[in-house]
Amino acid sequence: MNIIETKKLTKYYGDTLGIKDLDLDIQQGEIFGFIGPNGAGKSTTIRTLLGLIHPTAGSATIFGKDITKFGPEIKEEIGYLPSEVFYYDNMKAIDLLRYSGSFYKKDSKLIEKRIKELAKYLDLDLKRKIDDLSYGNKKKVGIIQGLLHEPKLIILDEPTGGLDPLMQQKFFDLLREENKKGVTILFSSHILNEVQKLCDRVAIIKDGKIIKVDSIRSLAENTHKRFMLETAVRVDKSRFTGIKGISDLVITDNSVSFLFRGHINEITKIIASLNLTNMLVEEPDLEEIFMHYYV
Amino acid sequence: MRIANIYKQELKFYRRSTIIWMLVFALGVFGYLSLFNSFTQDVAATTKILEGMPPVVRAALGIQLKSFFSIFGFFGYLLTYFWMVGAVQASNLGIGINSKEVSGKTADFLLSKPVSRFKVLTSKLLAALTLIILTNIVFSLSSYFSALIFSKTSFDAKIFFLVCSSMFFVQLFFLVLGYLISVLVPKVKTVIAYSLPLVFGFFIFGLLDSVIGVGAMRYITPFKYFDVMYIIAHKSFEYEYLLVEAAVIVVCLIATYIIYLSKDIQAAA
Repeated sequence: MNIIETKKLTKYYGDTLGIKDLDLDIQQGEIFGFIGPNGAGKSTTIRTLLGLIHPTAGSATIFGKDITKFGPEIKEEIGYLPSEVFYYDNMKAIDLLRYSGSFYKKDSKLIEKRIKELAKYLDLDLKRKIDDLSYGNKKKVGIIQGLLHEPKLIILDEPTGGLDPLMQQKFFDLLREENKKGVTILFSSHILNEVQKLCDRVAIIKDGKIIKVDSIRSLAENTHKRFMLETAVRVDKSRFTGIKGISDLVITDNSVSFLFRGHINEITKIIASLNLTNMLVEEPDLEEIFMHYYV
Repeated sequence: MRIANIYKQELKFYRRSTIIWMLVFALGVFGYLSLFNSFTQDVAATTKILEGMPPVVRAALGIQLKSFFSIFGFFGYLLTYFWMVGAVQASNLGIGINSKEVSGKTADFLLSKPVSRFKVLTSKLLAALTLIILTNIVFSLSSYFSALIFSKTSFDAKIFFLVCSSMFFVQLFFLVLGYLISVLVPKVKTVIAYSLPLVFGFFIFGLLDSVIGVGAMRYITPFKYFDVMYIIAHKSFEYEYLLVEAAVIVVCLIATYIIYLSKDIQAAA
């Protein structure tokens, strides 16, 4: 069953294109990554799905219901965390979360229990005022308000900004736990690495259009990695000729750099035969993926 | 009930500022009416001073010599200024209660919850209306008891409360006008930057009507919908103007709902 389904979903802001002819199918129980550079249309898609902005053309359903007709009903089962969190500054975290919980039909005692559990897990002091919280702690409030009603669909729009690496890990663990319960997750990000860590499938969006939908396994195999090798002696170019998947090869006296796309074992065999002093393997940024793979 | 949670929350948000407005009205009216005896101790001398003022200035200030020395006339004179203060409170509330979600960037939080925009708008409007009603109760009671304390002669309580209730209708006008502004302006950075010009604009229309006596001007500004002397004489409002106000309210509310239900909520960042 498709939890989210969009057909030719289009949004223009006046003359400016937000998204165009977006076709997406997100299945129940999957963690679906949605990646693209800033301004690609990720947030526009999410904001349209949530009814914050109105589509110019096309349609979308969530849980099989039209987003424009059943907005409030659909949102009963959605948890949303935006990239930037803003709440009522004068409220205490606990009051904000109780207010958030009051919108849902769930038993208030269960919501209260869930708030306490999540706050303990994320190490958040609920008695502090929103205004006094650091950005990272505000983000924790955002996570709790998105999960306190145990939604069937979690929509995350670049959610990790402001969270330290340890907290990011805890957050990902929390999402995996929710996913094990059958919760579907739409995870938007411009950081390929975090999408790779978490997601089953991924859609890449550029200039408002979906340019690729693929499984994360297939994407990882087909994605370029940048290799930067420091060598004790100059390496002859012939060592790399004829190897499928290498591009942008640059060799200087003591260094070799190239982009590689393919099975990682093939290239590590070659590298193992070199006299290395240092090695760096980097994920390419999205721009590189677009330049070298999709364009 | 999701309409009740937003309603209750808005009452909490505006609790402190409404109490301050209530105190301003209660203390203001008490302070002003405490001067009643001083003004009426020597009617002849005060009349002479007032007569010394140019008629245009007297008209602009709303001073009517025939009635100034009765508790109704004395109260009615300053009522215009209380209306003005009340209009600022109401337009602040009307503009702010909705636009604060955009300026405070909390619109995403609120509108991603399972509640329709219609309910959001309605519950906020009901909360604002409640706050205005509570302010009016305090204003009317403090005016009545102040008049009771400082007036040497008895007066008709029903008429007095009817006169006081004009404040509610003036505030209602500015509340809905403010509500319309809140959805028309993409981002209200400072509420007062819109409410003060709005109130003073209508007030100046009222002054122009008093000074140059253009009758049609009375239909434009709510500050001229309620004539205290007419209310005292007829024990009622001039229904003609109430109808005009009702029409303005209906048009403003319909426009507000249509605009808000169809507008895009811009991203907070």
